[in-house]
Amino acid sequence: MSIEEQYRTRAKELLAGGAVKMVIGYGKGTTGERRRPIFITSPDEVERLVLDEACITNLSGYLVSEGLLSDEKRVAVFLRPEGVRAVNILAAESQLDSDQLVIFGFDVVGNEIKALKGIHVEEFADVIESLKESAPGVAKELLLEKIESMSPQERFSYWQGEFAKCIKCYACRQACPMCYCRRCIVDSNQPQWVNTSSHSLGNFEWNIVRAFHLSGRCVECGNCDRACPVNIPLRLINHRMAEEVLGTFDHFAGTSKTQEPVLASFKKDDSETFIL
Amino acid sequence: MAKIGVFICHCGENIGAKVDCTRLAAAMGEHPGVAVSVEYKYFCSDPGQESVKRAIRDNNLTGVVVAACSPRMHEATFRKACAEAGLNPYLCEIANIREQCSWVHTDKDMATEKAMDITRSMVEKVKRNNKLQPIEVPVTRRALVIGGGIAGIQAALDIANAGQDVVLVEREPSLGGHMAQLSETFPTLDCSQCIMTPRMVEAAQHPKIRLLTYAEIESVDGYIGNFKVRVRMKSRYVDLDRCTGCGDCITKCPAKKISSEFDCSLGKRTAIYTPFAQSVPNIPVIDKANCIYFKNGKCKICAKTCQCDAINFEMQDEFIELEIGAIVVATGFQVQNNTMYGEYGYGKYPDVINGLQFERLASASGPTAGKILRPSDGKEPENVVFIQCAGSRDPSKGVRYCSKICCMYTAKHAMLYAHKVHDGKTNIFYMDIRAAGKGYDEFSRRAIEDDEASYVRGRVSKVWQENGKLMVRGVDTLLGRPVEIAADMVVLATAMISQPDAKEFAKTIGIGYDEYGFYNEAHLKLRPVESSTAGVFLAGACQSPKDIPDSVAQASATASKVLALFSKEKLEREPVVATNNEATCAGCWGCVLACPYNAIEQKDILDRSGKIIKRVASVNPGLCQGCGTCVTFCRSNSLDLAGFTEKQIFAEVMGL
Ligand SMILES: Cc1cc2nc3c(=O)[nH]c(=O)nc-3n(C[C@H](O)[C@H](O)[C@H](O)COP(=O)(O)OP(=O)(O)OC[C@H]3O[C@@H](n4cnc5c(N)ncnc54)[C@H](O)[C@@H]3O)c2cc1C
Ligand code: SF4
Ligand code: SF4
Ligand code: SF4
Ligand code: SF4
Repeated sequence: MSIEEQYRTRAKELLAGGAVKMVIGYGKGTTGERRRPIFITSPDEVERLVLDEACITNLSGYLVSEGLLSDEKRVAVFLRPEGVRAVNILAAESQLDSDQLVIFGFDVVGNEIKALKGIHVEEFADVIESLKESAPGVAKELLLEKIESMSPQERFSYWQGEFAKCIKCYACRQACPMCYCRRCIVDSNQPQWVNTSSHSLGNFEWNIVRAFHLSGRCVECGNCDRACPVNIPLRLINHRMAEEVLGTFDHFAGTSKTQEPVLASFKKDDSETFIL
Repeated sequence: MAKIGVFICHCGENIGAKVDCTRLAAAMGEHPGVAVSVEYKYFCSDPGQESVKRAIRDNNLTGVVVAACSPRMHEATFRKACAEAGLNPYLCEIANIREQCSWVHTDKDMATEKAMDITRSMVEKVKRNNKLQPIEVPVTRRALVIGGGIAGIQAALDIANAGQDVVLVEREPSLGGHMAQLSETFPTLDCSQCIMTPRMVEAAQHPKIRLLTYAEIESVDGYIGNFKVRVRMKSRYVDLDRCTGCGDCITKCPAKKISSEFDCSLGKRTAIYTPFAQSVPNIPVIDKANCIYFKNGKCKICAKTCQCDAINFEMQDEFIELEIGAIVVATGFQVQNNTMYGEYGYGKYPDVINGLQFERLASASGPTAGKILRPSDGKEPENVVFIQCAGSRDPSKGVRYCSKICCMYTAKHAMLYAHKVHDGKTNIFYMDIRAAGKGYDEFSRRAIEDDEASYVRGRVSKVWQENGKLMVRGVDTLLGRPVEIAADMVVLATAMISQPDAKEFAKTIGIGYDEYGFYNEAHLKLRPVESSTAGVFLAGACQSPKDIPDSVAQASATASKVLALFSKEKLEREPVVATNNEATCAGCWGCVLACPYNAIEQKDILDRSGKIIKRVASVNPGLCQGCGTCVTFCRSNSLDLAGFTEKQIFAEVMGL
């Protein structure tokens, strides 16, 4: 039986038995190679579930939709390892209770779909640990290498060019599971720290603020990057920050549901003498 | 409508020489919302302050900017003046045009431009300042003194003698610290024990002092006037209330070969022991690691000997919670381990000892009953070499700083040796003789002139053993030639360094420290006994190397600070505290973790039926110290700091 079929069967059982009230998974998209999130509440609908190499969106963000988990009922969700990491962070930041989730774990390796064992976040600890181990060595994409070989001035003008395209649609923010604040800093206008108009200062402010807010939290799922209508390579910024946080603080985002936020915690043996 | 007064201070030449104050005053006078803009030579002077007050009253000012020195210097001065003129003190701000402008620039025109920017920026801020009311917090009138050396004892006695409660916590089994180990003390050569013991007894018997020995601080929470301290009473295995201090158990204990910490491993002690004969309290402890019963499950001879049934092998550590208003940290120092100087042979040759070991040899209560006998064979040394700065002023192997006391104690050692071994010969290798202090230079001259100590200026390069002698090779830099001395004993004037756990402990109580682990004062010159944490004071050698007179003086100074704090029933706190916007808070709890003062709690927002709608962060204004850490952390910008609100800061930035 294919993994897709196995997961359909399991989803059917869970829904029929009332173990979960909803399954969040992937369904057919507008074109052949696109998949869109679907929200299934009845066992009759499980045939709509699709699982193939096009299922790349990180679905964890839907879990924090207002009211979804407040009735304490359980929800099943299709997650790749990045998605599990995202759930860990959301749990660590008190946005959800991961015990309410039933995970359908999978990964896309090349064109193959691989099932990941486990239904609770804790069971994916080894998978995440091995991601952390291999993180520093992952082959860098060409564009990143190109940017890193630039002089600071060249790099600045590269990003200036990229950010100039930003239209402040905030699709990146809406797509990101970590951007769950009810009021984002850009929506705060007393005072208006981040300029909302799409000129270069405002665009820089926005993208840099977001990079900071995601540092130590971004799981590199790529949702923002794919959402951006003007194709700013947002993944590169977040990847750079993740590298920095891993190198400096040995922090890999989303290793467990009790992980402390890297920018709000400190260890007593941190070398800085200014820390009391 | 804003009516801001701008007061530009020349600070004599300090600002006036580099900033054109007349131009600055004129420019600020033009700025929207400024009603008065004047300059003056010294606004902090009495007439200066009077003129500010008059201007406030005459013009009904709604805010004041004093362009002058740093707010640390005079913010309090000018805020008080404003209050006296009827203006809420938090409507007064300082524009720092001295440290941040005139002192660091040379070009007058450019400095003047910058001063305009700085001042304008503060004017824009003040326009958005709110009237704030100070927060009142109660004061618990009970002081905690940590460390029972001479500094801690002095502080405890001074506070207690003024009628306030003190808890004195010492981690060793007895009070005393290093002073109890010394033989005689410079510059008067009085016997250390004789002046120390009465103080120890007085502290232990004082009705206002609660003495906790063999106790350690577990945690410190809270803030000035309202600390909550948890103390661990380490189990002594001897009941403090039952034991009469007869010492029978000590005599009978069969584990007798344990190296004595108090005698710096020159003497031995038993497993049940008091560190020294005059220990206060005179109640022994069992050293679990060396006790035969704890090791083998058999012995209990002490328990059988004890007439009072005071020994209890089942005893557990106990915890005491204390409510404390002020803390004096007097945790002292340690001497550096000299094994890093392989060439001096410390640790290799038994007759190469450090200064503290020499104190024990010279002490009447020491392992040799005050006779100077060398450790290897118990013979009286005929020739002793002292090496000063063995660790101090040596950035490569030791520490960069001067330990301040070694010149003096080495002179003292030479004298003690001369007094005890009449035909002994003394050579002292030194770099400089630093003898600044009352009677100190006279004291070191006495060592040279009356007691014939021979000072050789230069460093020792090597010490080795040859034919039963310690050969010391060095240079006499004044004569410019090498010297070699055959000695019977070598004494190293070891550096004073911070306690091994000083940094860790600083984090427990929340105070700052320098690169060496000595505790930082709030201001080296003007606030030398206060730490940067309100309500925590520093006494003795934990702050920097010190001799006894300085430690005692500093201890008394902390007592006066504590008593000033306890003179009020309530404490006024700056109302600079954070507040949270519950509507926008995302409940991520990052701020709860980030707050170094544990001032943020989780709060449930309930609907009418009592169901939780949402969880948000909530700042306890009593605990918040206004550091702003949470504000910078919060991603949703929900936290704001009174006196430094986002609106104010934004206006300040835009005013530049
Ligand atoms: C060899 C030598 C000779 C000296 N000779 C002289 C002299 O002749 N004249 C002179 O004026 N000075 C002399 N001094 C200096 C003198 O010893 C010090 O100035 C003095 O001891 C400093 O006192 P203190 O209370 O600050 O520290 P300490 O004496 O070190 O006392 C600190 C106390 O705090 C306790 N403690 C530490 N940490 C904790 C904790 N976390 N919790 C609870 N308790 C804790 C320690 O156990 C200790 O009892 C000499 C020093 C040396 C090394
Ligand atoms: S920033 Fe982008 S890549 Fe990172 S977690 Fe958010 S959506 Fe995913
Ligand atoms: S999705 Fe792209 S265009 Fe839209 S706000 Fe984000 S970076 Fe700008
Ligand atoms: S950091 Fe901000 S959003 Fe998070 S709990 Fe604190 S106030 Fe709320
Ligand atoms: S300002 Fe914020 S972080 Fe600082 S003490 Fe107050 S609540 Fe804590």
